[in-house]
Formats: sequence, C-alpha cells, structure tokens
Amino acid sequence: MRAQTLLRGAALALLLSLGACGSFQVNPPLAAYDPAAGYRFENLAHDDNSDGLFVILVFSGGGTRAAALSYGVLEALRDTTIRWQGRTKALLDEVDVISSISGGSFTAAYYALRGARTFEEFPGRFLYRPVQSDLIKSALSPEGLLKLAGPTYGRSDLAAEFYGREVFGGATYATLISQHRRPFVILNATDMTTGTQFPFVQDQFDLLCSDLSGVPLARAVAASSAFPGGLTPLTFRNYAGSCGYRQPGWVELAHKDHASRINVRRTARADTRLSYTAAGEDAREYIHLTDGGVADNIGLREPLTAITSIDNSWSVLRLIDLKKVDKLVVIVVNAATSPAVERDKSPDVPGLIDTVTAAADVPLDNYSFDTLELLRKAVNEFNEPARLISGCKALAAARSPQCALAIPAPHPIDFFAIEVAFEYLDSPEERRWFKNLPTTLELPRETVDKLRLVGRRLLSEDREFQRLRQVLHGCAGGRC
Amino acid sequence: MEFVIVTYPGGRPVNIDDAPAGSTNEVLELDAGTHKFDLGLPADYDPSSQEVAVEGTNALAPLKIAFRKKGG
Repeated sequence: MRAQTLLRGAALALLLSLGACGSFQVNPPLAAYDPAAGYRFENLAHDDNSDGLFVILVFSGGGTRAAALSYGVLEALRDTTIRWQGRTKALLDEVDVISSISGGSFTAAYYALRGARTFEEFPGRFLYRPVQSDLIKSALSPEGLLKLAGPTYGRSDLAAEFYGREVFGGATYATLISQHRRPFVILNATDMTTGTQFPFVQDQFDLLCSDLSGVPLARAVAASSAFPGGLTPLTFRNYAGSCGYRQPGWVELAHKDHASRINVRRTARADTRLSYTAAGEDAREYIHLTDGGVADNIGLREPLTAITSIDNSWSVLRLIDLKKVDKLVVIVVNAATSPAVERDKSPDVPGLIDTVTAAADVPLDNYSFDTLELLRKAVNEFNEPARLISGCKALAAARSPQCALAIPAPHPIDFFAIEVAFEYLDSPEERRWFKNLPTTLELPRETVDKLRLVGRRLLSEDREFQRLRQVLHGCAGGRC
Repeated sequence: MEFVIVTYPGGRPVNIDDAPAGSTNEVLELDAGTHKFDLGLPADYDPSSQEVAVEGTNALAPLKIAFRKKGG
C-alpha cells in the first residue's frame, strides 16, 4: 500500500514537472501584410544621415572576441569627425546599415537599441561579463534543468531569456521601430534546412506571415549566435498564407530563369523565398535557425546582395541608379582566427574530433575567403565602367580631337572597401596572439581592452580608410 | 553587372521589377536575369511593360529597351 502511494506520488511529481517543462517563445502572427509598416530599411528616418554617403558595417562572428573588436571599431567611428555636405559630424552618425553574425550581433543589436548610450553601457553589460559561465549556471540550475527537459525548448531558448533579462532589458523589435532611426541593423542567423542566411528584418518575416515587432531582440541575437554543439537551434512558427502576403514580382521572374541559368544566384534566392510560402506537402510549419556563421561567418553576403542586385529589400544598387548614393563605404570587421595546431608535429593519424572539426571549419574558412573576394570583385565591377569609358575616350581623342566620344555612363560612385582583421597586423607575434584567441562568451578584461584597441588601430591603418578620411577631411584623435 | 538604357522621347522615371530604379535615357546598372520594365503612371506609353532577359551587356554596349508615346 505504502509502495503504491509512493509510486502515485512519483508519477504526480513527474506529471507536474513535465507541465513545468519549457516551450519555445512563439513568434507572433502578422494580422495583415503591410509593406509600409514594420522593421524595414525604408521605414527608418534618416534626417541627419544622408544617402549620398552610404556606410555599411559588417560584424563577423567569433563570440566576445568579435563583439569587442566590432565595439572598438564603433568607438573609432564615433571619434572620427568628417566634413560632409557642409557639416562637421562623427562618421558613426553616417552609418546606414549594420549586418552582423553571432558574436558581432551582440554589439550590433545593442547599438541599434541604445545608440550613443552603448558607449557607457555595453562594456559593463556584456563585454566584461562572464556570460558563458552565467549561461552554464543558468542551464544547471533546477529551473533551467526543468525547462530544458521539454522537447521544444533548448539551451538557446534559455540563452535568449538570459540575454533578454541581463543585456537587452526585454526589448523587442517594436522598440527599434519606435525609435525610427538608422542604422538599419540586420542580425543574421542560418536556416538549417535551406542553409541560407535568415536575416531578422520584416521582409523576411513577411514570408512567415509573422510580426517581427513582437520578437525580442535577445531572441534574434540568440539565433544569430546559436553556436552549433554548445547551443541549440531556435524554433520559429511559420504562418505563411495567413496574412495576404504576395511575393515581390522579381521572384517569379527569377524563378523562370531556372533553365536559362542567366543568374543562378538570383534564382536560388527566389527558390529560398518560395520555400517559406510553400503549401501542402512542402509546407514548412516550423523554421529552425542556427548560428549565422554556418551560412556566412563574415555577415557580408546580405550586404553584397544589396550592393549588386536591384531585388534586395534594401537595394543599394537601386539607390545608385536613382543617383542617391555618391560614396559607398563597406567596413568589414572580421574577428576570424586560425589557432595553432599540433597535428603536424606528429606522424599519428589525426583523431575523430580533430578530423570532424577540420571538416566543419575548413569549408567555412574557405567560404569566408571567397566572400571577401566577392567584395573586392564588386569594387572592381563598379570601377570598371569609368575605366572602360575613359580608356575609349582617350583612344578616340588620340586619333584626332574630332573623334571625341560622348559615351553615356552609369552614375559613378566612389567605393571604399575597408577591412579590419587580425590578418593585417604587421607584427607576427601580435598577429599570432590575436589569431589564437578562443571563441567564447567570456574573455579576461585585459583581452577585451586589447581587442577594442586593436580594432581602432587596424581601422586607422587601413589604406582605404585613410583615403576615406582624406576625401571627407576626416580627423581622429586630433590627427587630420 | 549588367547595363541597360530605357529609351523614351523625354525623361521620366523607370520602374524595374515594379519599383523605381532611375530615369529614361540614362545608363542603369542591374544584376543579370529576366526583369520587368515599365514607366509607371501615367500609362501613356507602349508597350505597357516589357519582360527582358538581361545578360552579356557591358558599359560600352548597354541593352536598349525602347518605349514610345502611345499613339505616337
């Protein structure tokens, strides 16, 4: 009888504990598709921020290392004054877009939320904090363990709650919309099924018929930084078909180019969009997002699409054709490392973990290398028409002054591609030290300070940044 | 990058893929692929829109996409 009572008690406790299991925070549905509402580039005011000087910042992944490096670059941009359109201002106030991945998303999201106050608050709230230890403590607490017992709740859900409580003060995208100001911050995660970037912007959430304004900023950061293995993917509900959303016209046009292969990249983008709105057997009721670094650890692919395609939701190329952009600046803050390995000091067959890690890291590193090459290629593509036309004119003029040609040209822009990366440090010892820093959400205070300083220094040493400062009569730290 | 000139007797805005993308009689840059061109409102031009596969152009030889005045 006593054993029976005990068994009943245990069963009741189990039932109660299952009831207390966590479940993911559901993203809200969108009542009706409205392109004039929501977190979109064109919905943000830019009274004091001209389109003429269009500045895009790109923050890579790399945990606190990436967050601190990108924070150092923000500090440098705050301290760089420029003359633009008759006014003296901080270069930081001309930043139009920030695209970020993983660790870089903490800095980007915080700056989107708090603007200039970031410089008083962010180091204490995130950079100097032992976030990783706090997350582990939270996961191992009785409440954490109970929540994690649920099949729809993972370690990243717990992390999102922690970031919301401890870093972002519970802010949602509604807060960013109400602030109504640039920069437009794009936190990128990876869609596990399509393997493509999943940017946290309303244009993307329109596909899911979901209202991004009700999504906590912390949840977007958690998705962007859901480092595989240590953290779990995050789940989002897909309500596609419930809000009257229609795909933009280019999607159908690009879809028609399958056989002709005119632009396979554009066609692939169209197919990815169509995957979210598919009905019937192909419907995707839930979208699972993992770390943005899985699709692109630099965060540059989304800006590259905006620069080279007129079909992106915030197309810079369209703004160039409309003659709104004269100078385009892309600053890539890349916290990539290449830790020293011991395997080549031994004849032993590399172990399973070493082999699997290499299999995961090597393609990602190669992809990042190619992504940066695409940026350099884009700069060349924009410079090419002017070179070609001026060459033709010179050739014609050399034959005879009467041969002067009037060749129409596209709107010219001055393109500055700036890269901040440990790779560009001059000293081999210093380079080695930074390239061996771990990827973690917790670094010693002095390491964070070194990263902040090296970010500033690498930016100021970049030749394209020096040219930009010259063109804009820029000064930093009293040096002009 | 591809290059097009949308020609029309006079300057007016051009839409590419249903959104503003520059003006007529100027060189416009865009990505390769099938695109839809029109001149927006008033719809006093022919044809009302054109779907064109844009590829293989260069800055010296932009693809010309012609619109004319209705009844002109």
